[in-house]
Amino acid sequence: MEIEKFQYDNKTVKWFAYATIIWGLVGMLGGLIIALQLVFPVLNFDTAYTTYGRVRPIHTNAVIFAFVGNGIFMGVYYSLQRLVKARMFSDLLSKIHFWGWQLIIVLAAASLALGKTTGKEYAELEWPIDILITLVWVVFGWNMFGTILRRRERHLYVAIWFYIATFVTVAMLHIVNSIEIPVTLFKSYSYYAGVQDALVQWWYGHNAVAFFLTTPYLGLMYYFIPKAANRPVYSYRLSIIHFWALIFLYIWAGPHHLLYTAVPDWAQSLGVVFSVMLIAPSWGGMINGLLTLRGAWDKVRDDVVLKFLVVAVTAYGMATFEGPMLSLKSVNAVAHFTDWIVAHVHVGALGWNGFLTFGILYYLIPKMFQTNLYSKKLANMHFWIGTLGILVYAIPMYWAGFMQSSMWKDFTEEGQLQWQFLDTVTRMMPFYAARALGGTLYLVGVIIMTYNLFKTVAIGKFLPNEDAEAMPLSENYTPHSKDHWHRWIERKPIQLLVVSLVVVAIGGIIEFVPTFLVKSNIPTIASVKPYTPLELEGRDIYIREGCYTCHSQMIRPFRSEVARYGEYSKAGEFVYDHPFQWGSKRTGPDLVRVGGKYPDSWHYNHFIEPTSMSPGSIMPTYTWLLDDDLDVSSLKAKIKAMQTLGVPYPDGFAEMAEASLRKQSQEIQANLKKDGIETSSEKEVIAMIAYLQRLGKDIKTVSVNNTK
Amino acid sequence: MKSQFNKGMLSVFLGILPMISFAQEKQIFNDSIFSNALFNAFLVIVIFLLVVIIGLSSAFKNLIQSETKENKERMSKTKGKELLSIVAIFILSSYTASYAQEATSVAAQVVNDWKIGGLDYFTFISLSLAILIEFGVIYFLIISIKNFVKSNLIAEIDVKSLPQPIAIKEKNILDKLNASVEIEKEAEIMLDHNYDGIEELDNDLPPWWKYGFYLTILVGIIYLFNFHVLHTGDLQGAEFDKEVAKAKLEVAEYMKTAANNVDETNVKILTELADIEAGKNVYTANCAACHGKIGEGGVGPNMTDNYWIHGGDIVNVFKSVKYGWPDKGMKSWKEDLSPMQMAQVSSYIHSLIGSNPPNGKAPQGDLMQEAVAVKDSTGMAADTNANALTQVDTTIKK
Repeated sequence: MEIEKFQYDNKTVKWFAYATIIWGLVGMLGGLIIALQLVFPVLNFDTAYTTYGRVRPIHTNAVIFAFVGNGIFMGVYYSLQRLVKARMFSDLLSKIHFWGWQLIIVLAAASLALGKTTGKEYAELEWPIDILITLVWVVFGWNMFGTILRRRERHLYVAIWFYIATFVTVAMLHIVNSIEIPVTLFKSYSYYAGVQDALVQWWYGHNAVAFFLTTPYLGLMYYFIPKAANRPVYSYRLSIIHFWALIFLYIWAGPHHLLYTAVPDWAQSLGVVFSVMLIAPSWGGMINGLLTLRGAWDKVRDDVVLKFLVVAVTAYGMATFEGPMLSLKSVNAVAHFTDWIVAHVHVGALGWNGFLTFGILYYLIPKMFQTNLYSKKLANMHFWIGTLGILVYAIPMYWAGFMQSSMWKDFTEEGQLQWQFLDTVTRMMPFYAARALGGTLYLVGVIIMTYNLFKTVAIGKFLPNEDAEAMPLSENYTPHSKDHWHRWIERKPIQLLVVSLVVVAIGGIIEFVPTFLVKSNIPTIASVKPYTPLELEGRDIYIREGCYTCHSQMIRPFRSEVARYGEYSKAGEFVYDHPFQWGSKRTGPDLVRVGGKYPDSWHYNHFIEPTSMSPGSIMPTYTWLLDDDLDVSSLKAKIKAMQTLGVPYPDGFAEMAEASLRKQSQEIQANLKKDGIETSSEKEVIAMIAYLQRLGKDIKTVSVNNTK
Repeated sequence: MKSQFNKGMLSVFLGILPMISFAQEKQIFNDSIFSNALFNAFLVIVIFLLVVIIGLSSAFKNLIQSETKENKERMSKTKGKELLSIVAIFILSSYTASYAQEATSVAAQVVNDWKIGGLDYFTFISLSLAILIEFGVIYFLIISIKNFVKSNLIAEIDVKSLPQPIAIKEKNILDKLNASVEIEKEAEIMLDHNYDGIEELDNDLPPWWKYGFYLTILVGIIYLFNFHVLHTGDLQGAEFDKEVAKAKLEVAEYMKTAANNVDETNVKILTELADIEAGKNVYTANCAACHGKIGEGGVGPNMTDNYWIHGGDIVNVFKSVKYGWPDKGMKSWKEDLSPMQMAQVSSYIHSLIGSNPPNGKAPQGDLMQEAVAVKDSTGMAADTNANALTQVDTTIKK
């Protein structure tokens, strides 16, 4: 057999690298804007497109799917070709993949700014974009597998196991969580409701962290750390065990996002124990990364790439130890809904994903442009300012979260709540300001990097196709008799894919199926009725404006929450909630029993200027709700969609829905008039008030019946 | 290899012993000790330190074994002793903890009123002691490892006189902890493949990692058993009921002695300037948004005229503040304000009547007779009490 000559495709890698940098800047700028909005609410600019509720999903989607997403593809396209000794399967597929992904990002940003959202965190994009994501993801998988099948290397390296698991699991998560009934081109309702929707959504949300932010980056770590340090990977058998344990255990841990909620106790307990068991598999990755540097620590002092990689892996270790700790119910009772969680995710995002990406960029760009980095000094500056940024961001947020939670729980000796909710918000201001400063530092670091890499590109000469050569694989292969048993599956990419899918599917199936089949998991409550047409339209506005980014709809069974918000939430109350709106953060108070707490006119005035009703409030103004007419053109379709999902509206209700809506609007209009507020009954604010006034009322007077 | 594994499992089980005794103890007591945050924190620390101990001692064991291979004669005497002492430490630490627990269960029945952070005094002391002992064991292990490596190193220097003894010493400790093969010998465990220049070593799993993993699995199993098989732990519903019952007792206890125990049956108009000032502060912070800064009304009704929707005498105002009129948008303040504060703010509101502010909202409700405003007629008071009772009923139902 003769040695074959071929070329690696650097061009696609370069595109993905540029996209990573650009979307990184955009996403982090978005983050900085929302951080500042919490300190200076005036920065919401009293315009729908720029309010916190819409910009926050843009920030999260941009950093996760645009910045880290492109970072994954950059690293995979670079390392995969070299690890299997083959050019990417098809240049055309690479091109479709690249431009398809950028199109998704642009559509996502535009549709989120316009308020087209499903209202499910980290899965906000509407159904046409969901389909587009699926298609582009398939193109990525096709291109990757085509490359793997044409490989000139018999066995697949550990990085590729992680890439394959990422591909198959993200596909599963995305498809299952995005099952929705389209109403119009940019409006759909989640197939699942309430507790089930929550379980599916956080199964997705948690494992988006696992399989979009973690496993692909572990794969990248397994390529770039040994390359940059020029050291052998520490332990092959550790790779095997931590890989399989990680992908198997991670899937189960989703319910730890739903501790003390209306989710059944057994599901919560599974979430707790699988999170605890995750510590070791997660740390397996960190250990293997750090111990690979054994004997190369002197290099870390000088090599800026290694510096970034080391801090990234360390941040990974911290975040994956903290995660299981936060999953313990007693810790979660303190941390959940507060900025503690925000600090936790940002240690992961800024430290692990951010720094690993920067390390890879500093490694790749000079290599592909056949030159040295323009300035080592600037890169070092980036490293230090970035590290400082993470600290200035995280420490105040930990402090703030702990402090706010304690204030929420404080009682006087007479048994009254010590603090109004607003008191706990105004106390957060200095911490929010410090966080914005930390974010600014981090962003400045990225700008320095962008300049440095731009200069490097300018002095270098790009090598679009890199020459390589290797022996083709022989037809017949007899494995060594003393080979590790795991070597078998490393020769079989398809089997690896199938086994990975089976391993990751188990946890989800065991956790979901009972909530769909066993009725006692969600005790029905006779008095809980579907939303009226006006309330349903109001709910859609609530979703459109991203109210769930700051307001929870879930009262946990704590004395402090029951005293503040009312009876704790029951599973049966949410059976008509497509999608659920429990939220994950309480920047504002819980709203699930706000119905009837204030008069209609209070809400009306509060939307014009929140501080008029709650002095010191940092909620944005929502004046367009008062100006814009409610669009009821899709009301019929909405009612029908809800009927398809099993919401028990009477037959033919879709035809009568508009009349019902008009009647209820006029009642609210009349109610407002009594308090001296003149408004048309056709404004959006009327629907919004109707929805808010309905919240939680169904079981205010009736006790819960457990029908088993 | 197998016997090593068995030994490891043995030490894990020894470490688990105190936890099992916790679980047993819980069945004796009605009030779950697992609902106490401090106790849980202690438990986490105890378990974490145990993991550290297990890791350190197995690393130490590896250290001794690998050294003895090289230097059998010199080490043969101490090896047995060291191993023996490790096992002794394990047994000691586990049994100290479980003994402490037994002591607790006896003591807790005798002394009930000494409490620290919700834990009775003996539990607190014994848990602290257990942690202290664990720290002691860790300290002992670290010192032993250090001494062991040092003595070994001196011996090596004597033989080989290495040029950089300090660097090698540090590496050794880390390598021993992780049971890794030294860099100098890594060619022996290098696997025979190469991916784009990346090679892989086949180091063994770090023992502390491996046993830590086993331990988390065990913790998981015990957790599920505790809550879902033996039903010894409180699930969130029961936990909530206990929290509320406990708070109710505490508040009732406090109210027995508190001077400011006011309710609708005995509330009187307060006229002291300090009370009116305090009432005004409560009003500005909580009521002004809806009822106007000086009671002129807004979203809510005017407070300064003689017309009242739900009665303007002190008892009725107090009741409106306390229970609210939820269907009309007036929230109940009893969870936010103390009884005294509600009396103060009611008195302040009463003082506003007739103040005639500019921009006053149009009157709502019924005209109140001056006489009624000043002193409660008996009929009114009786009616009030009846109302109050039904109100109380509905809140209890809730």
